[in-house]
Amino acid sequence: MVEVKIGLEIHCQLTGLQSKLFCSCQCDYRGKAPNTNICPICSGLPGTLPLLNQRAVDFASMISLALGCKVPDKVMFYRKNYFYPDLPKNFQITQYNAYGITSIGVEGRVDYGIKSTKIRRVQLEEDPGRLIYDTSFYTLIDYNRAGVSLVEIVTEPDFAEPKDVRMFLNKITSIIEHLGVGDTKLDGSVRCDVNVSLEGGKRVEIKNVGSFRDVEKALGYEITRQKTMSVRDIEIKSETRHWDEARKVTKQSRAKEEEEDYRYFPEPDIPTIVLGNEFLSSLKAKMPELPDERKIRFLREYELSDHVAQVLIDNKELADFFESTVKIYSSSPNEIANWIVSDLLGFIDDSKREEGSLFSGLRIEAKHMAELVKMIDQNIINRNIAKMILGQITKTGEMPSYVLDKMNASLIDSKAIISEAIESIFNSEKSAVRDAKQNPNAANFLLGKVMQLTGGRADPKIALNLIKTKLAVLE
Amino acid sequence: MPNHLYRLTADQVASGIKNRDFSAQEYISQILERIEKIDLKINAFVAVDKQGAAEKARSIDKRIHDGEHTGGLAGVALGIKDNICTKGLKTTCASKMLEGYVPPYDATVIKKLKENDAIIVGKLNLDEFAMGSTTEYSKYGPTRNPWNINYVAGGSSGGSAASVAALECAMSLGSDTGGSVRCPASFCSVVGLKPTYGCVSRSGLISYSNSLEQIGPVGKTVSDVVMLMNAIAGTDENDQTTRTTAIETIPNTMSLDRIPKYRLHQNNRNIRVGLVKELVEGADPAVSKCIYSAVDLFSRSDCKCEDTSMKSIEYALASYYTIAMAEASSNLARYDNIRYGFDSNPEEYEWNTYFAKVRNNFGEEVKRRIIIGSYVLSAGYYGKYYLKAQKAREMIKQEVKSLFEKYDVLIAPTMPILPFKFGEKIDDPLKMYQIDIDTVVANLAGIPAISIPVGFSDCLPVGLQIMANEMEEQTLFDVASSFESIVDIHKSPEI
Amino acid sequence: MISKDEIRHLGWLSRLELTDSELDRYATQIDEIISYFDKLDNVSLTGSDPARSIKKVSELRNDNIHVFEGDPLEFSKNRKDGFVKGPRMV
Ligand SMILES: [Zn+2]
Repeated sequence: MVEVKIGLEIHCQLTGLQSKLFCSCQCDYRGKAPNTNICPICSGLPGTLPLLNQRAVDFASMISLALGCKVPDKVMFYRKNYFYPDLPKNFQITQYNAYGITSIGVEGRVDYGIKSTKIRRVQLEEDPGRLIYDTSFYTLIDYNRAGVSLVEIVTEPDFAEPKDVRMFLNKITSIIEHLGVGDTKLDGSVRCDVNVSLEGGKRVEIKNVGSFRDVEKALGYEITRQKTMSVRDIEIKSETRHWDEARKVTKQSRAKEEEEDYRYFPEPDIPTIVLGNEFLSSLKAKMPELPDERKIRFLREYELSDHVAQVLIDNKELADFFESTVKIYSSSPNEIANWIVSDLLGFIDDSKREEGSLFSGLRIEAKHMAELVKMIDQNIINRNIAKMILGQITKTGEMPSYVLDKMNASLIDSKAIISEAIESIFNSEKSAVRDAKQNPNAANFLLGKVMQLTGGRADPKIALNLIKTKLAVLE
Repeated sequence: MPNHLYRLTADQVASGIKNRDFSAQEYISQILERIEKIDLKINAFVAVDKQGAAEKARSIDKRIHDGEHTGGLAGVALGIKDNICTKGLKTTCASKMLEGYVPPYDATVIKKLKENDAIIVGKLNLDEFAMGSTTEYSKYGPTRNPWNINYVAGGSSGGSAASVAALECAMSLGSDTGGSVRCPASFCSVVGLKPTYGCVSRSGLISYSNSLEQIGPVGKTVSDVVMLMNAIAGTDENDQTTRTTAIETIPNTMSLDRIPKYRLHQNNRNIRVGLVKELVEGADPAVSKCIYSAVDLFSRSDCKCEDTSMKSIEYALASYYTIAMAEASSNLARYDNIRYGFDSNPEEYEWNTYFAKVRNNFGEEVKRRIIIGSYVLSAGYYGKYYLKAQKAREMIKQEVKSLFEKYDVLIAPTMPILPFKFGEKIDDPLKMYQIDIDTVVANLAGIPAISIPVGFSDCLPVGLQIMANEMEEQTLFDVASSFESIVDIHKSPEI
Repeated sequence: MISKDEIRHLGWLSRLELTDSELDRYATQIDEIISYFDKLDNVSLTGSDPARSIKKVSELRNDNIHVFEGDPLEFSKNRKDGFVKGPRMV
């Protein structure tokens, strides 16, 4: 087995800030007409000076602390000199570790599951503008994003498997969300460069992986590519590749005519910033609860299982939903957690996880979940009915008791609701289903079960038709 | 009405207008006339804002007539070096790369001048991006020395010094990275100050070398320079490298006529003066003779003058040019003719090609400095040059600091040589750099330094440089003012 | 000795398209200037770090939005639909 080494460079926008890193333009550039969120500073006009945002320093320090990094007594900024049409100054103000001066965080460590990864450094820097490739004759440039605060998190090449990377990224996302420094669900707010090498081989960098979901895919592709080459005895070159989002492959970036030399040197326009103990202790006092602490609390306070607690805290929205529900109905936290993790999650469209809210499209709120669990506890409904009701409220936003009243008051003629009942009977009565496949009369047994489950209110004609249709398509 | 108003010092102009001896409009029309008449010979101005100046004068007169408050510089004609951003007025750094560039904001110093009701009459010539010591590297052609128009005016703020010497404006602003205010002040026989680093906001000063440069005032007298300093000094939220001082318990938006920061009083009693031996002895005999005789006159008063030595001066030039060029190579990267610049169409060019093609329109000296700056920062040479230059800089700073434990001020020539003829050094860049030896120390150490006229040799001006410890501008002004009254050589050139 | 090729490379790093005669001239001049800088070899690297201006976090800019009035790129010549037009990337 060839050992794989994977390292990450994660860029995360500090969208929790009001203004940009070095000027007072709005941090929230999304959805604005091109070049309307700019000022002389972020458009790189002559004579302008960077004006460092103090809250950006706070946020970057908080991230560093959350990732177990050392935060030095003082920090400096450096210029990374290279030309690119999205860079208004043709250099980027960033940080650098050299000559005893470090970036805002160094030498951290993050545990995830039973594994852990070392953090090489955390640095605060500015985002460039955006290029739009309009025609083959020219490029269109929008500086609205230029100067937005970014935190770059660089890991040691400690990952051996893409799925570990995925778990680690979940953790990072959750930390960022818990700190309230950034909204990782915003389009383009988190980006990742990865580097991959096979044991003893050259390091290949993959840039431009636009979302965390694609990181695992890009790694999978790249590892297979390198392994195939190595088996066929083709030399793997140290190179930079780009992730082609549409085709889901990595592609070689156009070879540079000449090697870049970033000529880093200390940014003379930004003073050395003294952090020190006073700053750090006031920051620690301000730090919100982090995912690890929250998990421990969940285990202790609510006696959740490790797995359930982990799933909840991996996504701040889920954990928040859980706690809001418990706040309304505090008797059965475990039951609530299980309903969220094993049933509610099933309704969440996975593709939406990184766009907008986890619950986007779902109309369920904490008060619904609280009432539902309460009704189960009071034996008003059984689990199967509860599942049907849950399905209904995610669509309509009606209270569970209201849905139940409607069900009790009338024949259920909603194919959707009856289908859900049939689905659950088919799952629990596997042998009866097999019998019914051979002997159509046995379908009546299933119908009886469905009627029982729905309290005799399912329209029998519709139910039988649906059962027959379902049996017909069964293999 | 007196018909030589343009000859007046800023001090005299301000009180003359305030006391209604003459109006701002009368004064400004004489200034504009003077510029019209003689700037063809001097070439100090790259742009004159006749209309803006006349309008401002009119409004000042009206406010004085109506008994309204006016600022401490009300009506005084000022010229601004063309690397300081003026909203709505072209700011070009005498470079093709900023041809036609109109800044959408005012530099902090310009805002302050406007708050004080100064009249900005125009923009002044300089070496391209302030890189030079003669103003020969300007796309507008060189500025000529008012004392002899076949000679250089010094640089890079050649226009700032020559315009004041030639009575085209009462005062001006220059910028001083390695002597760029003091050198032309010396060559043109006017007073020029390089303030303590962080004393004056750099916001709106187009960067050449950020860690070294400061905007500095130029005037006919020490008193005028004090007045202008009072208007422009102070911390600024738009420049995080500005510093707070005890002197600055005064809100900086306050008009200077109400609360002056610096005062003018001659004082040389018990002042301890160190004459920097290496710099006096290293100067042209014509220069050192002038310096010695001035110091001789001065030491007859109650001060204590003695020779002193500054060993680290050996590394000053190499350190200065390494740092300045390194920073310049990065500062000038933004000029890529995409957002601003001369007329050119990027369409169809591959971007690297486009950048390289348009950027070749920098002048010869600027390109030379960009290349050297890139070299000293490159991976293989960073430790050998840039880092060593920084260490040398710190060494110089430490030595200067220790000297100020013994002396209140240090004295040296401003320039090691007399003004020279056009073209004399332009083909030998290293020789050109070496004439900055006397001035770069103040920039490396971040201390204030002033050049004042102390005499002439062969009808060419000689300037004396006084340096003080950081934030000790007041000491500098006290001593400079004493020198000024003792030496008393103020006169104006015949043009 | 600094070669023409080194100057060309430095020119590329700084995106300056230098002519052949410029390369020749710069190579000679820059070699002379850099040789002068070599006196820095005698400076010890163990000396103290360069002093710089120092600020506390609380002295930095507050995180408030201030919208710039006017268009900072008002005078730029190559505009299209609000974008700035740049050269092609490939
Ligand atoms: Zn901005």
